[in-house]
Amino acid sequence: MSDVAFYDFVRGPFLKLALFVFFIGIAYRFFRVVFLGLPKDYAKPKGNPYYMALKKIVIKPTMGWTFNEIFSRRAINFVGGFLFHLGFLGLTFLVPAHAFLWQEITGLPIPGVPNIVSDLLAYSALGSLIALTVHRALNPVLKLLTGKDEYLANFLIGAILFTGILATKWAGGGFYVWVLSTHMFLADLLILYIPFSRLSHFVYYFLSVGFMGWNAGKRGVSF
Amino acid sequence: MDSLYSIYKQRGYTRRDFLKSSLLLATFLGLPPSAFPRVVEALELKPKPVVIWLEFQDCAGCTESFIRSTSILPSDVLLDYISLEYHETLMSPSGFYAEEAKREAIEKYKGKYILVVEGSLSPKSNGVYCTVSGKSNVELLKETAKNAGLIIAIGSCASWGGIPHAEPNPTGAIPVSQLLEDKKVVNIPGCPPIGDVVVAVIASYVITGKPPELDSMGRPKAFYGQTIHDRCYRRPFYNAGRFASSFDDENAKKGYCLYKLGCKGPITRNACATVGWNGGLSFPIRSGHPCFGCSEPDFWDRGFIYSPLSVVEGGFSWKKALVGVALGAVSGAVVGAVHKKLREGK
Repeated sequence: MSDVAFYDFVRGPFLKLALFVFFIGIAYRFFRVVFLGLPKDYAKPKGNPYYMALKKIVIKPTMGWTFNEIFSRRAINFVGGFLFHLGFLGLTFLVPAHAFLWQEITGLPIPGVPNIVSDLLAYSALGSLIALTVHRALNPVLKLLTGKDEYLANFLIGAILFTGILATKWAGGGFYVWVLSTHMFLADLLILYIPFSRLSHFVYYFLSVGFMGWNAGKRGVSF
Repeated sequence: MDSLYSIYKQRGYTRRDFLKSSLLLATFLGLPPSAFPRVVEALELKPKPVVIWLEFQDCAGCTESFIRSTSILPSDVLLDYISLEYHETLMSPSGFYAEEAKREAIEKYKGKYILVVEGSLSPKSNGVYCTVSGKSNVELLKETAKNAGLIIAIGSCASWGGIPHAEPNPTGAIPVSQLLEDKKVVNIPGCPPIGDVVVAVIASYVITGKPPELDSMGRPKAFYGQTIHDRCYRRPFYNAGRFASSFDDENAKKGYCLYKLGCKGPITRNACATVGWNGGLSFPIRSGHPCFGCSEPDFWDRGFIYSPLSVVEGGFSWKKALVGVALGAVSGAVVGAVHKKLREGK
């Protein structure tokens, strides 16, 4: 198979298949949980669940941002986690080639960023992903909470970031189309993998954080 | 038989002109400076190449491009230097006399002549869709290729099947290499290919006596080793995230990158951005039009000429996405409800 034939496959039928399965998987996951239901709770709410749900969604990303919390105990989690998410989401939506795709899907004028910005996002995302993965593998508590799912997801995202950087920095030569196609192939695999893994928080983050806040509000506890 | 140098002298060109052309040719072929004396010696002494040019399912655009290549050799020298023994579009004889001339050339220059094939082949229904003098294209190609010293498939039709091969491919068009699997075929794709590249490949065969170094798809590495994107003068705008959004907006006037307008430069290997067209004057991107990847296989079937490479082919369909959501919702609801029942039953 030639590189261009592989390229046509990953950006044509394979991408379409990945997107179709993604939508099936995301809906399946949501409705399965909804129909599984929760045990009946007859207790009267002790607080305001909806206010707390909203509060949790709004303040969650910054709620641990005290100097002591960040730098004395969980520096890698906070700094690494923040840099990784900022970098990965920034790259997903704002690299010009990606922005054109989102523009087509949403119809919104999404601005692209210059290479210097995407470079910063990519290096910080990849560096922090490596740091977070090593931390996960070495930390005695995190190690127990980590399964193959996390390592596979981290490897897949790391490979996407690496091949993306490689494609952007390619200085000419015969393998450029292979590098670009591999980057897109891995991205297709990620789209397929998201609904069936913990990466589904890419879609359900606000829903699950909101549910946590709602639950806390119902029980009348603070975060 | 005349060498290139003797033709230069006959035409009134100086030795300096000859040396300039030789230097340009060596540069085109990516040869090191140390190879220059060898290039000059070969072009000074070796006889001019004999070419038999066959046309099948083509538009003769490759021929047009070839005869207008003037970067390396002046046009009067080019047509004198390359001994075209048979070329349906350019030769004056026709019918029996033309076919007889070809047969004689094949006999006379056995193992030495260069066979250039323009257009795709059509073996379907015993080759009935493309015949010359009562012979099918398959038969004609095989009998001419048998004793050729070098076989060149010129243009995207001969290299990949091209436009005739596009869906629904009514004539069952195939590339030359598919019919001559036991022979080495040099592919020079493009619609049309750059004429100077064809001249350089022929001259390279005269100089070295063998085909140039080829990539895995049979293209000369010297001209198809890099993508147009790699060598595009608008690349800095791509890197800076500056794109033209339409053909006549302010950004287009400023010469910004044409990726958003559908440029296929990032996946297209060709020498347009370096060698250029019309004596190096321009190439599509310099003229303000995105590259549509004519030198890559199946470029016509790829479609989306004016959509960016990164968008979903054929457009993103919310309808299909909603079908997916509905399927997922139904199956999720069923599985969730069954689990709930089972849990309640315990």
